[in-house]
Amino acid sequence: MADEEKSMRLSRRNFIKIVGVAGAALASRRFLGGHTAAANRPRVELPELPAPPANADADVLLRMQEELARALKKPPSERRWVMVIDLRKCVGCHACTIACVAENKLPPGVVYRPVIEKEIGTYPNVSRLFVPRPCMQCEKPPCTPVCPVNATYTNEEGVVVVDYEQCIGCRACITACPYGARTSDFGYTYTEETPVADGLILGRERADDYERASNFEYGKGYDRPGDHGSPIGNARKCHFCLHRLHEGLLPACVTTCIGRATLFGDANDPDSLVAELISKPNVTVLKEELGTKPRVYYLV
Amino acid sequence: MKSELNLKKVIYGLGAIALAFGLWGFYLRFFVGERLVNYGSYVVWGLWVAMYLFYGGISTGSMMIASLDYLFGIRLFKGSGKIALWAAVVTMPAALVTIAMDLGHMERVWKVFLQPNLLSVMAQLVWGYSIFMVVLLAALWLVIRLESGKQDARPWLRFVMGVGLFLSIFLSGGVGALLGVNASREAWHTAMLPAQFPVFSLLSGCALMLTLLGWFAPADEKRPQQLRALSIGLLILLLVKTYYLWVDYSQALYAGTPVASEAVTLVLFGRYGWAFWLLQLGLGMVFPIAFLLSRRFQQSPFWSGVVGVAVLVGIAVARANIIFPMLSIPELEGLAQAFTGPHLNYDYYPSLMEWAVTLGVTGGAALAWLIGVDYLPFLKIKTQEVAQ
Ligand code: SF4
Ligand code: SF4
Repeated sequence: MADEEKSMRLSRRNFIKIVGVAGAALASRRFLGGHTAAANRPRVELPELPAPPANADADVLLRMQEELARALKKPPSERRWVMVIDLRKCVGCHACTIACVAENKLPPGVVYRPVIEKEIGTYPNVSRLFVPRPCMQCEKPPCTPVCPVNATYTNEEGVVVVDYEQCIGCRACITACPYGARTSDFGYTYTEETPVADGLILGRERADDYERASNFEYGKGYDRPGDHGSPIGNARKCHFCLHRLHEGLLPACVTTCIGRATLFGDANDPDSLVAELISKPNVTVLKEELGTKPRVYYLV
Repeated sequence: MKSELNLKKVIYGLGAIALAFGLWGFYLRFFVGERLVNYGSYVVWGLWVAMYLFYGGISTGSMMIASLDYLFGIRLFKGSGKIALWAAVVTMPAALVTIAMDLGHMERVWKVFLQPNLLSVMAQLVWGYSIFMVVLLAALWLVIRLESGKQDARPWLRFVMGVGLFLSIFLSGGVGALLGVNASREAWHTAMLPAQFPVFSLLSGCALMLTLLGWFAPADEKRPQQLRALSIGLLILLLVKTYYLWVDYSQALYAGTPVASEAVTLVLFGRYGWAFWLLQLGLGMVFPIAFLLSRRFQQSPFWSGVVGVAVLVGIAVARANIIFPMLSIPELEGLAQAFTGPHLNYDYYPSLMEWAVTLGVTGGAALAWLIGVDYLPFLKIKTQEVAQ
């Protein structure tokens, strides 16, 4: 028994060694040789992914995907995008926050969907609550009428958007939002001031290219220029991943939610999951007393 | 006379130093960028917005004071209207430059003129202040004509001053409305705010005029009377302001609900409580009220000037205390800790660049006023004119 354990430990150690050596070899090939691009990489044919199960009940994501396709067939003004966040299922993993940062290439200081953590009760009766907070896409948004140049408005699908080219960066909308759902882009990148060592470290220059390459917000593609062009200097906010929706994809936060706590769909479709859920008595919205009529609902 | 010269030299010197410091701030703002500020996505508006309200208040208040001479023709103030008007002319650009610095895309400011949302208070203010600037320049031009003996300018001047007075009341109220329309910000969302701001503007104009007359007007027989009249006006306005402060704060504190009292508690006992007690209340209200109650002091030109400056400092701190504390309260509990990064902070203190720009703008406005009264012939206060 002891021998068996020992040999297992050894083999585990060997495995780690092998992985380490292989990793180092790979890294040295890529970085010491200076080949950071895909240029010389042999093409590998990837096996095709198996088709998703035909039964949409297998996963709510599949159901929502189908409903999304259905909604997209309707004229935009007849869709009513709604997000439902089931607080009982949220485990506070922040995957949605990060998915959103990656999807929209959000720079430091800009966040569309933080997860607020709360500790409730006192020992020994303590529990934790996680509240993801995207833009509420208010039906009566206080953030839009204050804009001096009509740069932020509710589009025909009911999503509150920002026209980056129009926005003068006065931040009146950020002040007006009761949910703190807007942040200002001050032009940072995550990779700035990281070290550069040619041929040794991937470092700032290459990674910076990635950060500055275009995101896909609003279907327009905003890169991050060095010259303070939009979206730098603008107010930014969650837009329900409109650019994904129009391609038939669910918002990034929905697809990455490991607890399937974030649900999305067209509330005007009576057969949709969200329509079903928001008609239940355990549904609530943030700061209901303000009368902003959020389109983000919470299940408690 | 000698002391006036010395005082002028000191202010020229301080103004030049402040301006030089400010130029460095402008350089940073334009060539390094907005990231050097300490306001951000949570404390959205900082020192520059507070100073915009402050300079705007001085400019509109000075217009109100100038109207004593040019609109209402009050004899006691005859001849002093132009220095108030000139003060309004130099402080309005100070307000506009400061707020422009605050914009993420100041090169797009033309959009507010050509593609405005006129229902937004901010757009209304941009338009209003621009029209106000035109009115100020028109009034100045008419004053130049009047000074060169062209009496036909007088009715026009009266008309322009009438428009200016109307605008100065509405624009002062407008900055109150800029804050007041934010319904979710409990301490701002009150109709009292736009109602109070014109009084604050008049107070600013009155305080500045007291300083300008006390320190720089010729020492003729009219000056003591002018100082006394302004002192009484200032005293009344300060008492009204004290009452407003009491009403605002007592309502919030007596309401007992944290959402109503949070901002006030921050002002009184927060990190910058000392600024409230020492500068806003002590220097800006208690000291001037005590001083102005004494008739002997009321006629001391030098001390009148000091009181004027003290009141202005108090108003500047009050502006900051209206803006920052309300924005320092997280919209949702726990939001401050939910995600961290640059400019995601509820604890605000202006950065060096923000101070530099603010001081530079103040120094520039002070220098512009002094250079104007020293070198522009039509701004010279003639002793015989005042004595008439
Ligand atoms: S949550 Fe804030 S940013 Fe989003 S629509 Fe409502 S008011 Fe506007
Ligand atoms: S920051 Fe941009 S979107 Fe927001 S109110 Fe100002 S101009 Fe409009």
